Amino acid sequence: MGISDVKDRFKQMPPGMNMDQAIVEAERCLLCHDAPCSKACPAGTEPGEFIRKLRLRNITGAIRTIKSNNILGGACGVLCPTAELCERECSAMMASDENPGGSDKAIRIGDIQRFLVEHSREIDFQPVEVEESGVSGKIAVVGSGPAGLSCAAEVSKLGYKATIFEALAEPGGVLRYGVVPFRCDTDFVEKEIADVTALGVEIKCNSPIEGKAAAEDLLKQGYDAVFMAPGLWGAYALQDDSANIDGCYSSVDFLASIRNENFDNIISDFKGKTVAVIGGGSVAMDCVEAAARLDTTDVNLIYRRSYTQMPAEEIERIEALQHGINFYILHQPTEFLKDGNKLTGLKLVRTKLGEPDESGRRRPLLIEGTEWDMPADIVIEAIGNKAVDDSSDWYPNVKVDGKKLIVAESETGATSVPGIFAGGDIVRGPALVVEAVQDGKVAAKAIHEYLSDKE
Amino acid sequence: MAQKKPDLSIEFCGKKYINPFLLSSSPVSNSAEMVERAFDAGWGGVVFKTLGSDRLRIDHPSPRMNSMTVGTRKMSTVQNVEQITDRPLKDNLMELLYLKKHYPDRRIIHSIMGFADKEWEYLAKMSEDHGADTLELNFSCPNMTIEGSGDQAGKSFYDIEHYTSIVKRAVSIPVMAKMTPNITDMTETAMAAKNGGADAISAINTVSGITGINLDTLVPQPEVFGRGASSGTSGPGVKPIGLRFISDMAKDANLNLPLSGMGGIETWIDALEYLLVGASTLQVTTGIMHYGYIIVQDMIEGLTDYMASKGIMKLDNLIGSTLPKLGKTDLFDLDRQGVVEYDLDKCVGCGQCLNVCTDAGGQALKWDDVTRRPELNEDKCLSCMLCSFVCPVSGLIKYKAMPEGWKRNETAIRDPSLEKELKYEPYVHDGDDGCLV
Ligand SMILES: Cc1cc2nc3c(=O)[nH]c(=O)nc-3n(C[C@H](O)[C@H](O)[C@H](O)COP(=O)(O)OP(=O)(O)OC[C@H]3O[C@@H](n4cnc5c(N)ncnc54)[C@H](O)[C@@H]3O)c2cc1C
Ligand code: SF4
Repeated sequence: MGISDVKDRFKQMPPGMNMDQAIVEAERCLLCHDAPCSKACPAGTEPGEFIRKLRLRNITGAIRTIKSNNILGGACGVLCPTAELCERECSAMMASDENPGGSDKAIRIGDIQRFLVEHSREIDFQPVEVEESGVSGKIAVVGSGPAGLSCAAEVSKLGYKATIFEALAEPGGVLRYGVVPFRCDTDFVEKEIADVTALGVEIKCNSPIEGKAAAEDLLKQGYDAVFMAPGLWGAYALQDDSANIDGCYSSVDFLASIRNENFDNIISDFKGKTVAVIGGGSVAMDCVEAAARLDTTDVNLIYRRSYTQMPAEEIERIEALQHGINFYILHQPTEFLKDGNKLTGLKLVRTKLGEPDESGRRRPLLIEGTEWDMPADIVIEAIGNKAVDDSSDWYPNVKVDGKKLIVAESETGATSVPGIFAGGDIVRGPALVVEAVQDGKVAAKAIHEYLSDKE
Repeated sequence: MAQKKPDLSIEFCGKKYINPFLLSSSPVSNSAEMVERAFDAGWGGVVFKTLGSDRLRIDHPSPRMNSMTVGTRKMSTVQNVEQITDRPLKDNLMELLYLKKHYPDRRIIHSIMGFADKEWEYLAKMSEDHGADTLELNFSCPNMTIEGSGDQAGKSFYDIEHYTSIVKRAVSIPVMAKMTPNITDMTETAMAAKNGGADAISAINTVSGITGINLDTLVPQPEVFGRGASSGTSGPGVKPIGLRFISDMAKDANLNLPLSGMGGIETWIDALEYLLVGASTLQVTTGIMHYGYIIVQDMIEGLTDYMASKGIMKLDNLIGSTLPKLGKTDLFDLDRQGVVEYDLDKCVGCGQCLNVCTDAGGQALKWDDVTRRPELNEDKCLSCMLCSFVCPVSGLIKYKAMPEGWKRNETAIRDPSLEKELKYEPYVHDGDDGCLV
């Protein structure tokens, strides 16, 4: 397989629904009067409303509902773990006291949502407009991930001028440099971002706000408020120097490489190799799925707890199994095996489950005498993202917690510094796109109130 | 930047409506509390549940309705046996006063039904005195248990003209006559109303019908303690009938009255179709019975977006736009023919097209057993379009106009050898045989 064939496997996500399928699905909706799906959406995307609109052939209205509530409604339709969110509450599953498990599937809300957003592009319908409110003011947004994009779009709708500062070469945050393109492709992400810039948002790429008090200084440079949404781009590692081992990657670096100039190197480095991925969350699943597409020989997933304890969605786990990923559950890696600085494998110890820990999950306990060596050419550590080490220097007066997450009020996104708001992963820790969108919305409203009060 | 929005307001019988969407006189407009919620949802006006004079007691049959499910589509047609209001006139008038007082920007139309000349006059005056913007005369309820009322009056040219003129003499507010579709030609009944002085026509009331029979008791539905009746059916299934009658009246230059259209309106598309054939206000019941008052928001939003996409800023500019393109079938250009065209890249291989073409169309399809795809012989295609209706993939089967002069093959004869047994002689006529053309 040539490099271009491998690249093709990464280019596109599978096609979504078409109009016929979306209508059939909407016909199945029970149009619950108190729409539990809508209540379960973290960003208030109102699935109950947009499905009713589709049902009544008010298709432009359905698109408007999605996009005016959630400017990244397309990306959320693709990426939301819907089985845990809106679809989990769906009455069409026909669950009742008599039949608690239900006898049918939930309405495919995420798929309908994606379809409607894709349809808006097909019919060239731009649903979101800037209100003529007469407000003025400049808002600086740090980071062009979902939280930053959402906040910038919302303040622009209110009439403010929003400028996003983005450290990387292209906007999108995790949507572009994290999520693998065969789950949410670049073309799709760019169209979502275009819906944001169409509102007048300016995105300045290659413009990191870093160094001493750089974020706080934005307030002195003429910005009336600042929204911090730099996400989590540091990576937890088994040992401090793992990044220096030849053959060891962090999930952050590995996934970002798929969308940048390193991709060719990754393709040749991975070909024919045995890869071990450490972790059991969604990011680990993205890593194994990506590694499996790189003509590797074996992809082993190593997780220290049980299968059901994996944080990854069930569907992701099943797909990974079906794609031939070898699951090594109840295994704890304890050491990198090396030949010089070249990685040769992992030392693993079997674990068993003990008493519940503070997360409520049963704690993995090492089983003595069960060490063994797993040969591997490449290891990807997907055990969690964290704030980059010096991030708190950019905003020295903003209160942060022990993990360097910004402390912000959940109803407003306000930080300890007046005029500085924050949201997304930098506040919540690793979370969801749809939650980042919500944080952006909440902060935009609070920024508007803050500036209105100031006048 | 925000563009100017199309304007849905309209003038009807000299009154301004913020939008053309009205509750029709029915269970959905039975009380002030209900109508209030409808107004809050966005409805532009109401035709309140038909008022009576209390002289004759109204009891509704129980149960009142039946629904016809077609496939998964519930309430595709609904049958009811409701009559006019069963509430005292005094109560109803208080309800109407309340609405008038609290919703000055909404139009309140009183529907009335009398059972005698004086009673029509009395109800008309009562309504005018209690703030009715317009009257609607109910000549069309097919369910009245009182002899000579409802659509029984509406099938009599005399009654229509007579009662309309009585009402017109009694009041100075505009008067609209509501027509029954249970007749052959509505332009004639409407003309009777016009002769009596009517200012507008509303149509259609429900179509008399039977939506189902209980196969155990053999009683038609809704089964009212052992008996059933043909009664008022409504819903998406009756839209073609409503559009037909509205367009007939809109095209009638002698009639030339404003029209309030109804019958199966559920979506903005249905509403738009009624506007296009000449209605300038629209009334809804069954759509609300199915989905609630909220559907008006989808009608408003969908219609507004449609108008914006076509650059039409005023509702007036839509009304009747289809009429110049609507005529009798004898005006069709029969020299032009066409066939269907298949985009087989989209085909999923169900073969429903083959079934319908073989058993009801031109036998123009063959089935490739290996690829499981249809093969079309254009020469045999009747362009009946049946295959496109059953195809599960929109846009796969489309109409294709053939070049002028193209003719399809005649249907093949099963056994040409039978010609020798024919006793056939061609029809000849000399001179005038009374043929119409
Ligand atoms: C691999 C992966 C897969 C995921 N899959 C899903 C999924 O399927 N569904 C889901 O809902 N969630 C998923 N998530 C989580 C989701 O992506 C995050 O919750 C979300 O992206 C958080 O948004 P954010 O805007 O806070 O941060 P980010 O998306 O991280 O964006 C932050 C942006 O800020 C920029 N930035 C950082 N520092 C600076 C600075 N100093 N100056 C300027 N710019 C800066 C970064 O370059 C980045 O573009 C996934 C996460 C990962 C890592
Ligand atoms: S945004 Fe996500 S959670 Fe909300 S309705 Fe859409 S798919 Fe469901």
